[in-house]
Amino acid sequence: MTRNNSTIRKGALPRSITVFGICVLLASFLTGCWSQRELSKLAIVVGTALDIGDQPDTLKLTAQVVKAAEMGASAGSQKSSSGGKAYVNMSYTDRSVLSAVRGISHMQNRRLYFSHNKVLVISSELAKLGMGKGLDTFTRDYESRMNIQLLISKGKAFKILEEDVDLEKVPSLHLFGMMENQKLNSETAVVTLRDYNIATLSGSPAPVVPIVEMKKDKVKLYGTAVFKKGKMIGELDKSQTRGLLWVTDRTRGGALTVDTEWGQVALEYLHSNSSLKPVRTKDGAIRMELTVNEEGAIQSNETTEDLSRLENVEKLKELMKEAIRSDIENALSQARSLSADVFGFGEIIRREYPKEWEKMKNNWDTLFPQIELDIRVNVKLSSTGGLVRPVIPGGAQ
Amino acid sequence: MKSTGGNISPKDLMFAVFCFIQATVLRSGYIIAVTRQDSWAMAMTGFLFAIPIVAIYAALLRKFPGKNLIEISDCIFGPIIGKVVSAFYLFFFLSLAALNAHDLGSFVVRYLMPETPIAMVLLISLMGCAYALRKGIENLMYLSICLSIIVAGAVAINSILVLNDMNPGFLKPFFQMDLMTYIQGTVTIGAVPMGEIIAFTMITPMLEKEKKVLKPLLFGLLLSAFSMAFAMLRDILTLGPLVSIVSLPSFESIRYVTLADTLTRMESIYAVVLILLFLFKVCILLYAFILGLSHILGRKNQPLPNQDHTNPSFNTDQPSNPKSFPPLTLISTALVFFYSLIVFESAMENIDWGASTAPFFSLTYELLLPAVSLLVAFLRKLGKAREVRE
Repeated sequence: MTRNNSTIRKGALPRSITVFGICVLLASFLTGCWSQRELSKLAIVVGTALDIGDQPDTLKLTAQVVKAAEMGASAGSQKSSSGGKAYVNMSYTDRSVLSAVRGISHMQNRRLYFSHNKVLVISSELAKLGMGKGLDTFTRDYESRMNIQLLISKGKAFKILEEDVDLEKVPSLHLFGMMENQKLNSETAVVTLRDYNIATLSGSPAPVVPIVEMKKDKVKLYGTAVFKKGKMIGELDKSQTRGLLWVTDRTRGGALTVDTEWGQVALEYLHSNSSLKPVRTKDGAIRMELTVNEEGAIQSNETTEDLSRLENVEKLKELMKEAIRSDIENALSQARSLSADVFGFGEIIRREYPKEWEKMKNNWDTLFPQIELDIRVNVKLSSTGGLVRPVIPGGAQ
Repeated sequence: MKSTGGNISPKDLMFAVFCFIQATVLRSGYIIAVTRQDSWAMAMTGFLFAIPIVAIYAALLRKFPGKNLIEISDCIFGPIIGKVVSAFYLFFFLSLAALNAHDLGSFVVRYLMPETPIAMVLLISLMGCAYALRKGIENLMYLSICLSIIVAGAVAINSILVLNDMNPGFLKPFFQMDLMTYIQGTVTIGAVPMGEIIAFTMITPMLEKEKKVLKPLLFGLLLSAFSMAFAMLRDILTLGPLVSIVSLPSFESIRYVTLADTLTRMESIYAVVLILLFLFKVCILLYAFILGLSHILGRKNQPLPNQDHTNPSFNTDQPSNPKSFPPLTLISTALVFFYSLIVFESAMENIDWGASTAPFFSLTYELLLPAVSLLVAFLRKLGKAREVRE
């Protein structure tokens, strides 16, 4: 800034004093503000569980909080070097999620901080009554994020957060890691809070959430919970879940053991994709067409048969096709019996034939079970792994 | 303080328009709630809607070279009615400055510093704006290029990082809503972010090539329209049906960024960019208000920073006294501060205003008044054409 007149007016403060004053003022702002949050004042939540409360119309919230000081000790044990657990579970029962969160402040000196929350486990009991109460708070709150993993527990949800984990220090982090690993087997529908909300808002809402259960102090993922109008109405087993993933193009990998005339052979899914599209028939009805493309490899041959022979490869491909088709038909049958459009047929029809969808949407519950699904499976077995022929006694002779 | 006129290049003006509109683009929730998955197209139709509005501004500025909107009103309507029309414009600039300052304060308080009183955030932000204006509007205009690069970079990086979460199916079905919905979307985009560039008619007399007003304004709008469409597409593809129910779609979509569990919390970049853009926009609006106020109060001989001294409407014989400007700046800033504190009682009131009243309120000042001014100027044969004949 250049001054036209460099003369300092009488009574005005010298420039250096003004600049000094501004610096002091700005320095005072650097110290923080009303919203400062010191790490030592926060209880960082990494997992949350929701159960039905012991009083009518209440829910029990359990927050798993990490003990930051204990996290540095060697991995592989829940217990830290000082002998204590690396986490603490805090529970409170109240009429809503928010009041339960605030209620924990009656027992703890730190404020619960949900920005790092990784998993939200909801008991199937509560899910059958309705998910809205819990999920709206976690979606609406600015602190929480929508990329948290959503799970339904068989039995009490807080028990899942008490798992005796071997390779991690904190059960929630173990559960979160497990969910990220599911693409290896494609037998679990991995669902985040965002996915659940999108499915709920879609044209034919029947969201799904993976089920987790506790067996001998260890958690295990098994099957999928099916929702309608915010309430859990049924389940899909392992095979049906695989079928669901095939239809919704969420299969990324996995293994399939088939029984052949020579013995057991393990095949691996390498690359998969599927496309689902609605087709209008001549009589004006709509049916769905599913095309599954799968590229696999022979991963294990327990037989003495040379599976690299082309006629054997064709037989394996047929078995693979049958297995995939069977999973899909299983899933379709269960979805029809629940009258729950878990595949999102309605949403796809709404996108492709919006005018027809307008006529169908009010009767979708009765129309969905009647929708035909044409399944086309294309399988390619591209390799036999590291071996061309099996290891058989004297095979080199 | 540089006070020579004609030192803003058309390029600066173009990027300033881009930054000015971008502040509203990044909080596109109010428009996506109406036209949902087709909102991206509204950016382009909104641009087409804004072209005649900008053409009116350009025609007025061409007819009265070297004059800003307030001076033009004086010329067209005379000293008394002209002052009344100018007062309307001033009210509009003040309201826009207060509304945008309120939006800035609400964003900071809701998402970043929930326990900080909004008054504190507004006070510090507006102090910053007043300081920037004291340093000169031309510096702010120079900065618009840097700011545009930062904005474009942030939008591009954030969009690349959420590619994995995008689903093209969310864009379907295409254009299935009724026509009125699209008209509402078009008018809202054309009026609310785009038409607000009327504030630049207070700055255009400072252009190096004063006659070249239309081009930078239109190119600035076009850049904004593309950027708006791009940001909306990203949000729709990432959030799907959620996009129409969240408060800040861009903020929510960027929250999904996770790269190898290391690069997360990218929304902080968005927050910084949004705050910078809001400060820029409030500065421009505040400047338009202060400049207009100084004209109305008859302080023409006490020029504002960077005001055109070559302009015949100023008495260049008087020595410029930059110190005469701050009281007006501080008074105006204080006015914006108090107005922004009381402008809305709640976020719900703000949303309702944005969806129902804002387009009509804005169009009154952005389209109706300038159009009437131009018409009267033609009827009274005022402006450059007549001067030439004389």
